[in-house]
Amino acid sequence: MIVCVAVVGHQNNPLYIQSFTDADDALKLHHIVHCSLDVIEERVNNPKKSGTTLNEAFLGLLYPTLNYKVYGYLTNTKVKFILVTTDLDVRDTDVRTFFRKFHAAYVDAVSNPFHVPGKRITSRNFAQTVSNIVGSYGLN
Amino acid sequence: MGREVAESCVDTMLMEMVAMYSGRFYANKPELAARRIEAIGYQVGHQLSERYTMERPRFSDHLEAIKFICKDFWSEVFKKQIDNLKTNHRGTFVLQDNKFRWLSRVSIDPSSTSGETEDPSTPGESKAAQAVSMYLYFPCGIIRGVLSNLGIPCAVSADISSLPTCSFVIRVKA
Repeated sequence: MIVCVAVVGHQNNPLYIQSFTDADDALKLHHIVHCSLDVIEERVNNPKKSGTTLNEAFLGLLYPTLNYKVYGYLTNTKVKFILVTTDLDVRDTDVRTFFRKFHAAYVDAVSNPFHVPGKRITSRNFAQTVSNIVGSYGLN
Repeated sequence: MGREVAESCVDTMLMEMVAMYSGRFYANKPELAARRIEAIGYQVGHQLSERYTMERPRFSDHLEAIKFICKDFWSEVFKKQIDNLKTNHRGTFVLQDNKFRWLSRVSIDPSSTSGETEDPSTPGESKAAQAVSMYLYFPCGIIRGVLSNLGIPCAVSADISSLPTCSFVIRVKA
């Protein structure tokens, strides 16, 4: 199950963060997302150590914590997408598909002429699309 | 999948935008009009770059990003590639398009230049060149918007030599 997704801008400014749990642990999830930014930076600056091919947008598993797995994705425009999941057995292809859909939703949201670049994404349509993508994650 | 717009709409919009800004809003301040048009282009480029770089790996250096503009980006926007790319390897790039689509319908009023062809620096000629150059602030802004969204701050200017040919000069800020 996906518990949290986030979009972080090129200056590490939060653009969108949404948790999908009933429990009151939003702060903890935000903390995990925050920590993952350092890992992304490390991956990008030392590309040899990462297992993925050079400069691919999908960064793979960033780090496993006790209960969660954190995945990252970095676009050409230095926007980061972060996914926190509780699944222990995650298929790489599922995560890739998820990020691709998430990225497409983000592109549609920022192409809105009323969106101010670098500001938080407030579009309700985007929130709805994201929760649909999260809901359909891992179903096929 | 992608939604399309008739090319003539874009042409008309560009013409109207230039006419509005340089003829009505800032009629006696052409520099201000140019800056506003450039800013509109910047926003368009910023948003287009997000979409067109979606499926590709991250660029490792400036040249790769410029090549992306010359090939993929130009084909998406203008259905052709840049004809010539020159660089001094120190942050200046010259992109030459031999038949720039947004200038292909522009013609200079013959009455303003007739009889003055011997001297190229006559006021009629420079006035025409200035009028044409107003149409180039929008594409300049687009290029600057794309590059700065890719993390390359730069300044872009345009030169016209003979009409449908036009070259964009990109100076990357260190």
